[in-house]
Amino acid sequence: MSEDGGQTDAFETAVTVLQSGTVRVRSEDDILLARQEARAVAEEIGFSTTDVTRIVTGVSELTRNMHLYAEDGIMKWREIEAGTDRGIELVFDDDGPGIDDVEGVLRAEHSTSGGMGRGVQGTKKLMDGFDITSNPEDGTTITVRKWT
Amino acid sequence: MRTTDTAAVTQVYDVLIAAFPGRPTDQAVDDLQQDVLAQMEETNPRGVILDISEVTTLDSFFARVISETAGMVELMGGEAIVVGMRPSVAITAAELGFGLDAVETARSTDHALSMLGVRVEDADGEKAEGTNDEATTDSTKLDADGTPTGPASSPGGGR
Ligand SMILES: Nc1ncnc2c1ncn2[C@@H]1O[C@H](COP(=O)(O)OP(=O)(O)O)[C@@H](O)[C@H]1O
Ligand SMILES: [Mg+2]
Repeated sequence: MSEDGGQTDAFETAVTVLQSGTVRVRSEDDILLARQEARAVAEEIGFSTTDVTRIVTGVSELTRNMHLYAEDGIMKWREIEAGTDRGIELVFDDDGPGIDDVEGVLRAEHSTSGGMGRGVQGTKKLMDGFDITSNPEDGTTITVRKWT
Repeated sequence: MRTTDTAAVTQVYDVLIAAFPGRPTDQAVDDLQQDVLAQMEETNPRGVILDISEVTTLDSFFARVISETAGMVELMGGEAIVVGMRPSVAITAAELGFGLDAVETARSTDHALSMLGVRVEDADGEKAEGTNDEATTDSTKLDADGTPTGPASSPGGGR
């Protein structure tokens, strides 16, 4: 199952990867490390302060979800380029139980943790591109992109 | 100013100031909430200032803890004011749909103190004329950077 979230446009653009890295996320400290690394990369790419905050906040939401719901996951970041545009792509990949109601989660109407239930839906709003694939066999993979 | 990743609760007269660290773990955020509530019970302050000026990332977890803490302070009979939210943080939180709507906010610690009825003396040493109609009549004096000056008693008292 794959939900495109209506923002596939950003992913149809062919991109060149300029730099990339990986952060393993299995503790709260790792969430901070992932945030720190995403901040450094986003600043280097030249995002505005507000865009850096949007990106790092999204990283915080999605890495915390991996830690909370899948215990273990990986964040990959890529500095990307398409023509004169520069941006960041982030992939959050885990082998956890998957999300049983992706549609509900994207409407911020589904939380199994008593949280605000806004992490996934909110992150989608903060980004230019958002893609989610989730099932019990392969876990959850969320890819986001943002352009400067 | 603060370089640690642990939170700090300090008392200025009968107001608690809880300074959230810039990059706290979830545990540190939870601990700060516990500290605030414990000191609330111990010193019965008139208010609590939640200082988030060091906070560069306010995600849904952090936002929830702040609103919850403010709610608990109010249940315990105090007033809670959030201070120092950065513009980029405010924009992002609003876009995410968890602006701290229900929570009182102030521009600065000085502003929050005066909202709580603590009188901040200006730099010339002129005393501001009080409109403080609270039962507490201590004239609390603070210099410009919030450091207590001059003698004053602390009604919340003894630590
Ligand atoms: N990586 C994941 N693996 C499994 N379930 C997830 C994952 N991410 C999110 N979920 C599920 O989606 C729900 C909504 O997530 P989110 O929007 O972040 O809100 P919250 O975390 O506050 O519940 C979670 O409660 C959880 O059930
Ligand atoms: Mg979440």
